[in-house]
Amino acid sequence: MSSPPARLTVPLRSLGEDELLRTSRERQLSLSREEMGTIRDHFRAAGREPTDVELETFAQTWSEHCIHKTFKGRIELDGEVIELFRDTIAGVTSKLRLPWCFSVFEDNAGLVDFEGEMALAFKVETHNHPSAVEPFGGAATGVGGVIRDILGVWGEPIANTDVLCFGPLDLPYEELPPGVKHPRFIHSYVVAGIGAYGNNMGIPTVNGAIYFDRSYVGNPLVFCGTLGLVPKAKYARDVKPGDAVLLVGGKTGRDGVHGVTFASAELHERSEEVSATAVQIGDPIEEEKIKRGILRVRELGLGSAITDLGGGGLSSAVGEMAHRAGLGALVHLERVPLKYPGMRPWEVWISESQERMLLAVPKANLDRVMEHFAEEEVEATPIGEFVPGKRLRVLYRGEEVADLDLAFLFRGCPMVARKAKWKPPRLEEPSFPMDKDLGGDLLRILGSPNVASREGVIRTYDHEVRAATILKPIHGYGPGDAAVLRPLYDSWKGAVLSNGLNPEYGKIDPYWMAASAVDEAVRNNTAVGGRRIALLDNFCFGNPERPEVLGQLVRAAKGCSDTALAHGTPFISGKDSLYNESPLGPVTPTLLISALGIIPDVRRAVSMDLKGPGHRLYVLGTTRDELGGSHYYKIKGHTGKNVPRVYPDEARELFEALIKAMDMGLVRACHDLSEGGLGVAAAEMAFAGSVGLELDLGKVPLAGRMREDKVFFSESNSRLLVEVREEDSPEFEAALRGHSVASIGKTVDDKELVVKKGKKTLLKAGLDALRDAWEASL
Amino acid sequence: MNFCILRAPGTNCDGETARALEELGCGAEVVHLKRLLDGRVDILGYSGLVIPGGFSYGDHIRSGAIVGRVLSHALGERLSRFVDEGRPVLGICNGFQVLAEAGLLPGFEGTSRFPEMALSKNASSHFEDRWVHLRAGESSCPFTKGMPPVLRMPVAHGEGRVVLPPGGLERLEANGQVALRYALGSGEPAGGRYPENPNGSAGDIAGITNPQGNVLGLMPHPERAFLRILYPDWTRTGGEGYGDGYLLLRNMVEYVRRL
Amino acid sequence: MLWEVRVSYKRGVQDSEGESTLKGLKALGFGGVEGVSTAKVYLIKGNCSRGDVEEICRRLLANPVSQDYTIRGIEGEDE
Repeated sequence: MSSPPARLTVPLRSLGEDELLRTSRERQLSLSREEMGTIRDHFRAAGREPTDVELETFAQTWSEHCIHKTFKGRIELDGEVIELFRDTIAGVTSKLRLPWCFSVFEDNAGLVDFEGEMALAFKVETHNHPSAVEPFGGAATGVGGVIRDILGVWGEPIANTDVLCFGPLDLPYEELPPGVKHPRFIHSYVVAGIGAYGNNMGIPTVNGAIYFDRSYVGNPLVFCGTLGLVPKAKYARDVKPGDAVLLVGGKTGRDGVHGVTFASAELHERSEEVSATAVQIGDPIEEEKIKRGILRVRELGLGSAITDLGGGGLSSAVGEMAHRAGLGALVHLERVPLKYPGMRPWEVWISESQERMLLAVPKANLDRVMEHFAEEEVEATPIGEFVPGKRLRVLYRGEEVADLDLAFLFRGCPMVARKAKWKPPRLEEPSFPMDKDLGGDLLRILGSPNVASREGVIRTYDHEVRAATILKPIHGYGPGDAAVLRPLYDSWKGAVLSNGLNPEYGKIDPYWMAASAVDEAVRNNTAVGGRRIALLDNFCFGNPERPEVLGQLVRAAKGCSDTALAHGTPFISGKDSLYNESPLGPVTPTLLISALGIIPDVRRAVSMDLKGPGHRLYVLGTTRDELGGSHYYKIKGHTGKNVPRVYPDEARELFEALIKAMDMGLVRACHDLSEGGLGVAAAEMAFAGSVGLELDLGKVPLAGRMREDKVFFSESNSRLLVEVREEDSPEFEAALRGHSVASIGKTVDDKELVVKKGKKTLLKAGLDALRDAWEASL
Repeated sequence: MNFCILRAPGTNCDGETARALEELGCGAEVVHLKRLLDGRVDILGYSGLVIPGGFSYGDHIRSGAIVGRVLSHALGERLSRFVDEGRPVLGICNGFQVLAEAGLLPGFEGTSRFPEMALSKNASSHFEDRWVHLRAGESSCPFTKGMPPVLRMPVAHGEGRVVLPPGGLERLEANGQVALRYALGSGEPAGGRYPENPNGSAGDIAGITNPQGNVLGLMPHPERAFLRILYPDWTRTGGEGYGDGYLLLRNMVEYVRRL
Repeated sequence: MLWEVRVSYKRGVQDSEGESTLKGLKALGFGGVEGVSTAKVYLIKGNCSRGDVEEICRRLLANPVSQDYTIRGIEGEDE
């Protein structure tokens, strides 16, 4: 039996537009009419037909996942033309020009200075579609992939974060569309997959969130993040001609062939069958061995560059590495170790098999590098070399299967021009009577799926391996605002991780949804003592080819950028995942903001549990009539209209004053006000510390007159609750002078929460009852 | 004094364990299993052996099974000599599983050819990370001598439920081999109650020693309770100084100094 | 030769995975299910006798304190 020749061409030159589009569909390239036309014209000029390997390379490199066409394209909204990435996210960072930003938007992760010669690398990715089809494998490989992003900047992974969005767990089975798995199933296997990968690799999962909304039924969102430690002097990015292209890690199979183009296509009923190869199984032990090998090579300074093999596999990684170095590359594809015979050259080239990394290694160091990997029982194979000139040449058993111009490959993709539309939804503020006793509403909110305890999930993640987690996800028996890590043994300096996510507000206005996410992430970080904060953005939206979805995206990008600029917090890395749609429609516009702060001394970190009776409780920030998208309205069956806004000029100075008070040792406990507002925050602080609390709503600083229930449950941004000892209160008040701050109550011996307005008692509940309500769900 | 911190593919608590021993003033060399197997390194060259936590070989077959069985097959005699000479062996979490599979624990009649106990799937059937209370003081193990009545350390495992053959628990108790038991905050044994006994272990057993007392296996992680600032409530109870894990590791180091 | 080895929990040893599976099935409405137990199956290929496989089980695949095993020749057993 004779096998087909290695070199196969795909005739494009004579094709018209419709035929081009058909070719794109038949070969699952997910390339548009215009993109196919550009490729055809390129080969017309070259005077030959493309090979299948070349065409697949374009499909990978020009996919939404790899090139972020929408964010880098031109978008017109209400007559204004913007380039999203340049004009919003990246614009913030370049306007702020902060000297501690070591590498932003250039590499696999963003890097910021930490202590001395050490930098921190942070990256968050999504793995939504694979998790919808195979939740365990999809989530596990999501974690594995983002860890490789950190390895891909020579980083040692030291912590994971995971934010998950699912459909409601109590969704009736009959409402489940065909081909869609029940949220309960997806939830439990996604959680198990995340735990399995992180735990096995010995990387603590220290921060996260779980959010439920109907729009995620057919399209769950799985955000995986990793923090790493990089000695700046070892951050090698210096490929020279003659350096070897070294493939490290697992063998290559058909896994994930067309994974990238899959991520950029909407999920539909038959996804499960047609996408079997897009789903992968992870092997955390393999990655742990790779990690050890890479850290050894890094320590000895034997490599000249590194990157992970992610979307697009070798086709993206080799070309990118060469392109960044201003070089070309020559690859011998038959040298790639395979899982099984019979793979076509293009399949080897674009395979997304897990647990593989790519290194550039000067020839003189190659033997030593190979030895170090062999010592860890990791396969390392030189598959080619970097060469002068800017062409990417791929040979298979000596026969040329691709010869591409790297400049065209990386800059030739036609810029997308799209129209966006934004029309605010017609919404109204509800009117309903207030319950005499706010206790029932508080218990309902505490037990509601988006507020209730995540302890059952958190405990299945190892959150303290490495013995460096100083503030844990459940610290002092309550839900912590942010995680604090002590990355170095010989320093007390800490890294602070937090996040912000408010999809519910996106139903009213994505601008304020995004602004709120930034404020929440920054506020959570501040609540434990974090400052000098850097941000990551992760957008998960529907199909951007729909003008109304794109309009939401533009609103959100502007909202988070305006707020980040005002807070002085740069974006250092980010990712967008578009086409998050299922038969049930697009997901609610979702933006996750992840924040990385530092704290000069972890021993000064502040936790959220009340510390003792006889102390004062202060509320910081102004409470407004902003209950649109709030939990209080939600349990009453309303969405509302007055979405929480951000007044960042007030917020930034307030947060800075709070940090000053913390550094003076004046703050005993601090908790941010978010879902469920003052009511939920106060209850959580009280039961976490098992310390009673008496509050007077009449003392809360307001912007205008408000009914008591609204004061209690408003979700206005930029607010925190702070516990201060009586004897420290004059100093604390002096530190906060000029800001919106008021003492609204005191901690007491009785184990109960009492809320009054003047003489009128609005709520009286035992701490055990509050805690039970919070723990009952999930 | 030089400890061998043994690692195999998937071991992941070697760094912090070595670091803790270094802080106690000893040498701590992380040694890959293959270097012991191919003879490049001799276990008898070390004053003590620590097998740290992790997921050696991905916990395939059973947690600790591959490393444990390979150790006993390839190094059985040298390990027995190591133990008979009174040198300390500490197995933490996955290390405890390795010691059980290698037949070093419970070691009723010295090292056994086949396992005499099992660390089976948690009664909850899932992995769990939580801080527990522990009670020491029943055993002959010098590493747990002179400890406060109630200790605190975290557990983080999916397979930590001690399963013993019929009569095994009584024999352990009669020999003074129960080194640590899961307890209530008051110091009373947990009585099998979840989550105080986090995995459903027979007799609330969290740690076992051999009859001589120089081999200790425990599911909780002393290296994660080395400093008070690692406690989950240090912001209310104080973050200064060393924790209970320090006491246990220090005892082991002092035991070597006395040898 | 191809051998099938099946390793299961000894009678009386708690099979927590089986128990949670049972709970899950009850929750899905399979009221008729009375018990679930789990076992691991290994397929072993190569030039080995039943005695060799027996030894493989004793030496690695089963912990005699908590687990039982059965061996079944699937193809090529000379007996």
